[in-house]
Amino acid sequence: MANIITWARVKSPWVLHFNSGACNGCDIEIVALLTPKYDVERFGVKLEPSPRHADVLLVTGGVTQQCAERLKRIYDQMPQPKFVVAIGACACSGGVFAGCYNVVGGVDKVIPVTAYIPGCPPRPEAILDGVVKLLNALSPPKPKKQPKQEKPPGLPKEEAKPEVAKQEAVAPQEVKPTVEEAKPDAKQ
Amino acid sequence: MIDFTLIFRILVFPGFTFILLLTLFCDWLERKLEARIQNRVGPMVAGPAGILQPLADFIKLLTKEDIVPRDAKKTIFKFAPLVAFTIMVFATCFLPIDGASVLSASGFNGDLIVILALVTIANFLLFLSGWASSNPYGAIGSARVLTQFLGYDIPLSLLALTPAFIAGSLSIAVIASSQIIPFIILAPWAFVLFIITMQAELEKDPFDIPHADSEVVGGLETEYTGGKLAFLHLTRDVQIVFGAALVVELFLGGPYGPVFFGFPVFWYSLWFVLKLLAIVIITEYISCVFARLRIDQVLSANWRVILPAAILSLMLTVALVTWIYPMVV
Amino acid sequence: MPNNNIDIINVIETQLKDKVQIQLGQLGKAAIVTNNGLHRDTLKAMVEADEKTAISAITGLDLGANIGVYYHIRTSNAFLTIKAEVPKDNPKIQTITDIIPGSAFHEMEVADLLGVVFEGNPSPGRLVLPENWPEGVYPLRKDFKANEVKLSPPKEEAKLPDEVKLVKIIIGPQHPALLEPEKFAVTVDGETVTKVEPRIGYVHRGIEKASESRTYLQDVYLVERICGICNSIHACSFVETVEKILKTEVPPRAKYLRVVTLELNRLHSHLLTLGHAGLEIGYETLFQYFWRDREPIMDLIELTSGNRVYSSLMTVGGVRRDLKDSDIPKIKSTLSELRKKLPFYRQIYEDEPSIKARMKNVGVLKREDALKLCVVGPVARGSGVDIDVRKDEPYEAYGEIPFKEIVYTQGDTWARMNVRMDEVEESINIIEYAIDHLPTGPFRVKAPRVVPAGEAVNRVEAPRGELFYYVKSNGTAFPDRVKVRTPTFSNIPAFLKTAIGENIADIPPNFVSLDPCFSCTDR
Repeated sequence: MANIITWARVKSPWVLHFNSGACNGCDIEIVALLTPKYDVERFGVKLEPSPRHADVLLVTGGVTQQCAERLKRIYDQMPQPKFVVAIGACACSGGVFAGCYNVVGGVDKVIPVTAYIPGCPPRPEAILDGVVKLLNALSPPKPKKQPKQEKPPGLPKEEAKPEVAKQEAVAPQEVKPTVEEAKPDAKQ
Repeated sequence: MIDFTLIFRILVFPGFTFILLLTLFCDWLERKLEARIQNRVGPMVAGPAGILQPLADFIKLLTKEDIVPRDAKKTIFKFAPLVAFTIMVFATCFLPIDGASVLSASGFNGDLIVILALVTIANFLLFLSGWASSNPYGAIGSARVLTQFLGYDIPLSLLALTPAFIAGSLSIAVIASSQIIPFIILAPWAFVLFIITMQAELEKDPFDIPHADSEVVGGLETEYTGGKLAFLHLTRDVQIVFGAALVVELFLGGPYGPVFFGFPVFWYSLWFVLKLLAIVIITEYISCVFARLRIDQVLSANWRVILPAAILSLMLTVALVTWIYPMVV
Repeated sequence: MPNNNIDIINVIETQLKDKVQIQLGQLGKAAIVTNNGLHRDTLKAMVEADEKTAISAITGLDLGANIGVYYHIRTSNAFLTIKAEVPKDNPKIQTITDIIPGSAFHEMEVADLLGVVFEGNPSPGRLVLPENWPEGVYPLRKDFKANEVKLSPPKEEAKLPDEVKLVKIIIGPQHPALLEPEKFAVTVDGETVTKVEPRIGYVHRGIEKASESRTYLQDVYLVERICGICNSIHACSFVETVEKILKTEVPPRAKYLRVVTLELNRLHSHLLTLGHAGLEIGYETLFQYFWRDREPIMDLIELTSGNRVYSSLMTVGGVRRDLKDSDIPKIKSTLSELRKKLPFYRQIYEDEPSIKARMKNVGVLKREDALKLCVVGPVARGSGVDIDVRKDEPYEAYGEIPFKEIVYTQGDTWARMNVRMDEVEESINIIEYAIDHLPTGPFRVKAPRVVPAGEAVNRVEAPRGELFYYVKSNGTAFPDRVKVRTPTFSNIPAFLKTAIGENIADIPPNFVSLDPCFSCTDR
């Protein structure tokens, strides 16, 4: 039964996009994911209008002061289990805007982040790769056929910070081991 | 004594399970078709060619956290989606799928009116569910549902009377079985109007005002999560199947078609499903090639064009049935 | 027929003789130094003489004891700056919103960032800074220290009573119709909009301040990140302004290469908007088709610059990368592929009944209003105002390249989208011409890292309209002030005006027809 639930979760990630003060570069790349060349619907990804429907929150931008509060609220509105993906250099650390007076600098200063996709902006392939990796981390580990997660050539490195991931583990029982699964990734 | 056949008919075929699977399949077909029209491939990885995608969505939603907003009117908020779903499935059960309706003996003269009433009730429950969520978008979305279905219910009922007149009965089973020549040939204008009205009733493009996410976010679904959202989605999908099935029964001769060998039940079901899929494809195609209209445009289209046309169509049918068809048939 | 040959300097000289000081050739065609109060008279004289007089930007800058308020004015044939100064301890100046209604936002921004009080501005209040920003702290003053800012805890959003909730719809900050976080409080009567209150500033990152602490070279990449869509034009305008101060002459090949990059940028931006409009009116198929055809353009940007989105091609003194001869056939074939698809899209916009129902007569902006509100770019050209910086004040190689200026007169959403549709074709022509007539020679010259003291203004035509830059240098490697006024900032008043009285369902198509870009607006 748990297997079926995990399967369903992996195959049907509905995402919500939140721009927390980004330059539109990453945002347009996220929208480009929906379009014929990339077509994320292949993986069951659907862009949802309401936070209540979403499983994965894609956050872009370095989080401005005005957006921080709103970002937290949207995160709270999402139902469990939920995941946050920080997309772009700004969302990961503040990027070029780190130190600006109105920028908090990084999504993880406001809400727990499960996966980071750096790049300015990351290519749509990199975003796709990041989301798929996040979802694969959900599947129960297959002892023998664990392929070494290698860095695709030319794409920015994937990271998952374990300390943040642990806060994330408020999620129901089934997800818990799988989130920690992301740990070895960070050591690479 | 327990009637196992009856239980089987209700729960498995052609009852609940069959309708549910058919609904999920139609959902997949619609998504795939939309994707192909838009130059994409659509769902791919969940099952062969993504055929399990709707099932995955459904299971995932069922296992998500179920949030009831603080301001919501809790009882209605919790039960309206489920009741709406149940009513839609119940209405579908009245349609003869394998040559007889699910409850074999339940067909009676006038069940056409009953199922139209049931659809109205289901729509009203959807309105209630949006209204109960106490969210401005939910309120606007559900108000739009109400405005739209109240407007389009009248021409829909009038147009449904056209086949009833030709068949001389208000029983769906009789209407379906009396189509030696399908009514689409006898009354093509009514068929076209019925498809358009159905499109509006099912809230599909160009009439999908209640689902316009650039205007009303998620519409009445905005505040829903988890299992309740799953049932709202499912209700909508069953509505689409039901609409297509109704067209099949009223205009395309229902499940009846040539029987080549073996059990007629098998062939009847096959014909029914094939005709239904054809209708689903037509409606999905229409919704892909049009932009969404504005609510006032939709309403004025209804009162100025569709309703008069429906009345004319009914008058024309009455005239034909009284004077012309007796000479031909 | 409007007279396009007014000598505006002459008008000012005759009307305000001896009262104002005219410095020819500075900050545009001339800088007019006015004593306090006379900026209004100067402006009045200009508006009376030339109906196309519009405000481009208001720059506020810290001059030590005083705060300078520079009004950058464009007329039908010239670009001028009116300089005024106010003392820092009592920064008060008379508003000009009664003369030029489109200047309200500009004044609010200067008030927000520099603390200048514009007496008589109809809507004083926060524009870009957060609501809980401390009073009396102004980020663009030189004594501002970012690490000393203490925000008061955010106020709980006042809970609206049920009856208000249903008539006042808050669009944003997170809303599917907006890709960016902005908030519009829309008051409705039934389904009719009666009032729109904007609250921008959600994307305000403080780039103008940040650019003061980075070198000129770093700033090229910083200002490029003002907007991820029209990025090259920002970088281009900044380097042009710096080149004006440096008096560097860019080699001809670089000028043509810049044009190619800018037009590729315009192509992808216009295709994006044309598709996005489809999404807003529920025509998803159209959206998918446009974005499908946008991808080859993104590939071209990658081919010419090495990156899909940020081309980072501009640098002071030229471009950073030459165009390979071997890439030219690929560019040409991709462009002609796109050109072949255009008639199909044009036919959809012309004939498709549901598009016409949703776009025609929606958000009509009359020519007079367009002039009054100082709108720019495709929004102005859709309302019959023929302004295009590429024609009016040719920069780079635009003076040598033949192209048409697209003007529609209907002023509705449909006209604005069609302006973009036609400009896509013009952009293809421009790129093809530029590639065919590419001069030989170097593609960059070496420019000094340290910029001599001076100031300059520059205007370019971004995909969304006139983009304005003001740079002041103080003789070091860091600029003293960088002011950016983006096209959307000028176009928002048009939306606020046209939305009123229309159906709430018309908001998304009307809004998207401005091609709004808030990361530009807020900076």
